[in-house]
This record gives sequence, structure tokens and C-alpha cells, in this order.
Amino acid sequence: MTARRDLIARTVLYLILIAGLLVVVGPFLWMLLSSFKPEGEIRSVPPTWWPSHWTLVHYRDLFARLDFPRYFANSAIVAVLVTVGNLLFCSLLGYALAKLNFPGRKALFLIVLGMLMVPGMVLFVPQFVLVSNLGLANSYAGLVLPFLAGPFGVFLMRQFLLSIPDDLIEAARVDGAGEWRIFWRIVLPLCRPALATLGILTFLASWNNFLWPLVVATTDDKYTLPVALALYSIGQNRIYFGLLLAGAVVVVLPVLIVFLVLQRQFLRGIATTGLK
Amino acid sequence: MRQRFVAAAACAALALSVAAGCGRDSSGGSETAKAVGEGKASGEITVWAMGTEGEKLAEFAKGFTAENPDAKVTVTAVPWEAAHQKIASAIAAKQTPDVSMIGTTMQGEFAKTGALDPTPTDLFQKSAFFPGAWDTTVVDGTSFGVPWYVETRGIYYRTDLAAKAGFPDGPKTWDDLTAMTKAMQTKAGAKWGINLQPPNKTGSWQSLLPFAWSNGADIAAGGKYTFDTPEMTEALQYYQSFFTQKVAPPSLPAGSMEPAFVKGEVGAFISGPWHVGILNDQGGKDFTVAPMPTGKSSTSFIGGSNIAVFKDAKNRDAAWKFLAWLSKPDVQVKWYQTVSDLPAVQSAWTDPALTGDKILKVFGEQLKSAKAPPPYPTWEQVSAVLDTEIEKVCSGREEPAAALKAVQQQADAIGTGV
Repeated sequence: MTARRDLIARTVLYLILIAGLLVVVGPFLWMLLSSFKPEGEIRSVPPTWWPSHWTLVHYRDLFARLDFPRYFANSAIVAVLVTVGNLLFCSLLGYALAKLNFPGRKALFLIVLGMLMVPGMVLFVPQFVLVSNLGLANSYAGLVLPFLAGPFGVFLMRQFLLSIPDDLIEAARVDGAGEWRIFWRIVLPLCRPALATLGILTFLASWNNFLWPLVVATTDDKYTLPVALALYSIGQNRIYFGLLLAGAVVVVLPVLIVFLVLQRQFLRGIATTGLK
Repeated sequence: MRQRFVAAAACAALALSVAAGCGRDSSGGSETAKAVGEGKASGEITVWAMGTEGEKLAEFAKGFTAENPDAKVTVTAVPWEAAHQKIASAIAAKQTPDVSMIGTTMQGEFAKTGALDPTPTDLFQKSAFFPGAWDTTVVDGTSFGVPWYVETRGIYYRTDLAAKAGFPDGPKTWDDLTAMTKAMQTKAGAKWGINLQPPNKTGSWQSLLPFAWSNGADIAAGGKYTFDTPEMTEALQYYQSFFTQKVAPPSLPAGSMEPAFVKGEVGAFISGPWHVGILNDQGGKDFTVAPMPTGKSSTSFIGGSNIAVFKDAKNRDAAWKFLAWLSKPDVQVKWYQTVSDLPAVQSAWTDPALTGDKILKVFGEQLKSAKAPPPYPTWEQVSAVLDTEIEKVCSGREEPAAALKAVQQQADAIGTGV
């Protein structure tokens, strides 16, 4: 009886998972396949899954009209710097807030919490005015600096660091390790799962960021991929779906590859933290 | 949503900086334009342009630098989708270029911030442009910038279906349009007689206003919005009738109207010149364009884009000279041949490049009388209200008269912003 019930439960579980998978992967597959269809077929009703005429014209258009390497490099430079900055600064501040005793710690934490409540959009224009008054408009510094640390990352790291036993840190201190050494050698390696999460989230947010690079970059050689894509695929009165889809594939693929490759690392990081 | 929010935040910041008088003279009254120096243009001119225009203008401007060897035109392409935010933020942070393309519906708002330079009257002749297009540059009596290119709306219809429906020459009057679209369903086998701008989409006011204007309505008079008029009500009733009589589909999914039109399932729709290219891409044939059907007149909507110089321009004189060059009839024709933008300068339309095309002729004729919405800074807000009410009327949830009262009330509350 139980074996049979198990089988039914398992089947139901798989069916739900498969349905979920289709919902998640379906649009992506459609995007990929449609990027090879001629413009007319993309919008045909009823829609087709498999292209009836394969064409590379959208990709050819994309690479001919877009200075792709430049936009890709801009996107990559900004996303990598922002991610590295977040990992470093958020874990430093998170560590201080979670494990160090200093006057004003509570107040500082409250400020961080308060910043979490402020919607980023409200800060958008003041931030841009600030950046341009500093003379950083249209520079990589202007694209990267405002995002090097964020309240969300600090909060995430602090909450995670709270779960690391104080004993571990005190033992290191008794053994004669300095604060820097404790942070670098003991605390950070233990934080790998939190760092992985933060890394993924910041990288994606930066990679997909549209408004800030659009406004800060006053000449198009500083545009990032999403901005460049919007530039060429969306006209005043019409949208070039083929170009848009081909561009979306090209924007998504690098991220997808990075995460497929790194996925094992992340998983190992999560699996081994409990054993140390 | 997010983008709307930023736009709102940017506007708020703009309003604040204007209210606080951050060094800008935003004297609402008519400003006087300074004259532009004589001689050839020199120095770098920075230009922001959207979409295809942004992509092609740099190369095109070589014609200008050939005539003015000391000048250099640097073009930055800006995505249409976010142009409003980019310009609004740039004005707030004083990071504006010398010249920018300005969508006609954004004109009022940006002119009101005091960031745009009044058009020098010694360089530009009002009468050279289509009157409706010129009106879009005028805010509170002063013109800021010049029309660059224009577009207007007409009735696209299937000639084969129209012939079967008994209107081989297309609809001429409001009654014709009703009769033709109905007969397309009953006699010619079309599923829908006409597709009117999906009511759940923003911008349906652009389809309604041609009917209102053709019926003699004026949506702004005496310094205020006037939606609650008999002419306007009649136009909205007429617009609604296509939905209540099931001649127009309640709503088609985005992008599915064109294939349906090509297949003959939809008999007609209202749109601008760009749809010729889309239909040709999809293998459309047997279609043509008729002017807006006549009520008291045949008056369509004029859109397109203006181009303006900022007050903070580093190279003001050269910037205006560049605009003067762009407004030359022969340059306007060449620009049409480069990106298919219809000339805003009337005399450009006598060129064979434009007179040869049958559909273009219809649009060209329509442009002479086409009107633009009032260039009030609050127009974007008010048109959003209008869109919402049109949707209610078309789905049958509200009577036209009540809807227009509601629009009027909210428009009065918002004010013109001048």
C-alpha cells in the first residue's frame, strides 16, 4: 500500500515540477526559437513554436548595427565591478554590525534598515544630480560608484553572520589572530552561501539595469547592452520583434553560461558550510 | 510602472527646482528670442536623437559639416522608450546637450521648465511648416524649437473588401465609414469591420481626437481644457457605436491586428504612415489609405517630432544653424529618403520623391489641416485620464456624456499647467 502511495505521490510531484518547468522554460524557448523566425512569422496568429523558415537575419542585423563588443564590455565591466564591490563592502559592514561592539552600532543598523525602506526610484534624480555635480556624468565611475554597496546586501550579510557562533571568532582571537585575519580567513569562507546569493543578485541587477546607464551615459559609447538593445529594437511607432528577441538572447546567454558553469561552485559552497 | 514612477519623480524634481528658482528664468509669459549670429557654424554641436533618427543622423549631418567645415556634429542615439526620462533627468541635473529631438507631446512640459531656447524668428518662417506641426512648438505664445518631421493618421482599408461592401472608392463621410465597415462583415466575410485602437492601450485618444476635430470640437479653448462639449460627446458616441454594434473587436492582442488585416479578417484600421512598411513586411496587398471621413471637416491628428535647442547649450548659434539646415526643403526630402520621415516643411512635398506615391499623397493632403493636442505641460497627464474614460465607454461601462464630464472634472483639477 505504502509503496503504491509513494508512487502516486512521486508522480504527482513530478507532474507539478514538469508543469513548473514548462512555465519557466517555455517563454525562454519561445524567445530562442522566435529569434530565428522572419519578422512576419513572429507575430503570426496562431503562433508557431518551430520556425517554418529559419533565418539569421536578425542576428546579422544586430551585429551589423550594434557595436556589440563595446556594449558587451561596458556591461561586463560595470556588472563585475559592482558585484565585487558589493561582496566586499557589504560583508565588511555586515560583519561589523553583527559581531563587533562599538558605540552607535544600533543606530547604524537602524540607518541601514531605514535605507531599505526608501524606494530607489525616489533617489534617482538627486543621485544623478549628485553624480553630475561631481563631474562623473558619462564615466564608468558614474556608472559604478553609486552601486558599490547597498542596504539590502548589508542586511543580508549581517543576518547571515549572526548565525556564525561567537565562540569560533573568540577562539581565533585567543589563538592570536588579528581582526583582519579573522574576517578574511575565518568569517568570509563561512559566508560562501550568502556571498553566492548576494553575488548572483547584484550581478543580475547590474546586468539588467536600464535607467541608470541610460541617463548617466550622455554619449552612446558608454551605453550598456540593455540600453543599446532598446535603442535599436523599439521605434517611435513600431517594435522590431525579431531584433528585440535576438538581442534578448544575446543578452541572456552570457549570464546563463556564467551561472551554469558556476552553479556547481555555489552548490558545493552551500553543501560544505555545515561541515566546517 | 517603474518607469512611470521615475518620470514622475523627475518631474517633481523639475517642479521643485523651478519653484525654488534654481537660476532659471521660467517666466511663464512670452519670451523673446535672441538673434543668431551671422556667418558659418563652427565648433562642436552635441545632439540627442531617438531611434532610427539617432542612428542615421550622424552620417546624414556630414552634409552640414561639408558646408560648415569648422563645425562638428556629435549625435547620441537615445531609445524612444526612455527618452522622456533621459531628457527630464538631464534638465534637472543641467546635463543637457546643445540640441535634442523632442516628441511633440513632451514639448509643453519641457518648454515649461524653462530649459528650451525660444526659436529665433530671424532664422525660421512659421509659414514654411505645416500649421498643425508648428503649433506643437508653441507654448504660451512662444515657439521653442521647430518641427522636424511629421506623421498623421488615415483609414487603412482593404480595397477588395471595400469593393465587395459597395465602397470601391473608400469611405468619404462618417455614415460611409459605418456602412462600409458593417458591410465588410455582412457582405465581404470579414470578422471585424474596423479595428479601433485597442481601448485597453494607452494612446487611444490619438484615434478619438481626429473624429472630435472632424466634428468641430475644440478640446482647449480660452486657456482651459474643454472636453464637455456637444461636439465632443457626439464624436465619442460615434466612436462607441463601432464597439456596441460589434463592428470593432473589443481588444486584439498586441501585434495580431496586422496579420488579421493581411488575411482579410479585419477590414480597416486607423494608423499613420509607418504601417505601410509593416503591412508590406507581412505580405499585405490590396490595401490603401483614405483620409479621415468627413463630419463637419476631415481633420486628423498630427504627430512626429520637433527638434529644439537648450538654453544651456554651449554652442547655441551653431545649434540653431544646424536646425535651419535640417529645415531646408531639399534637406528634408533627403532626410525622407534616408529614414522615411515625412517632411514638416510644406514646400518639400512638391518634390517628385513624395508626389509619386498614392498613399503618401493622402497623408500629405491630410497634413495640411491636421491638428495637434494643446501643448500644455499637463497634456500627458490629462490624456491618460482621457484614455481611461475612452476604455470605459468602449467596453460599455459608461455613457459618453458622463465619461466626458469625468474627464472635464479631472482636467480642471489638473489644470493646464501654463
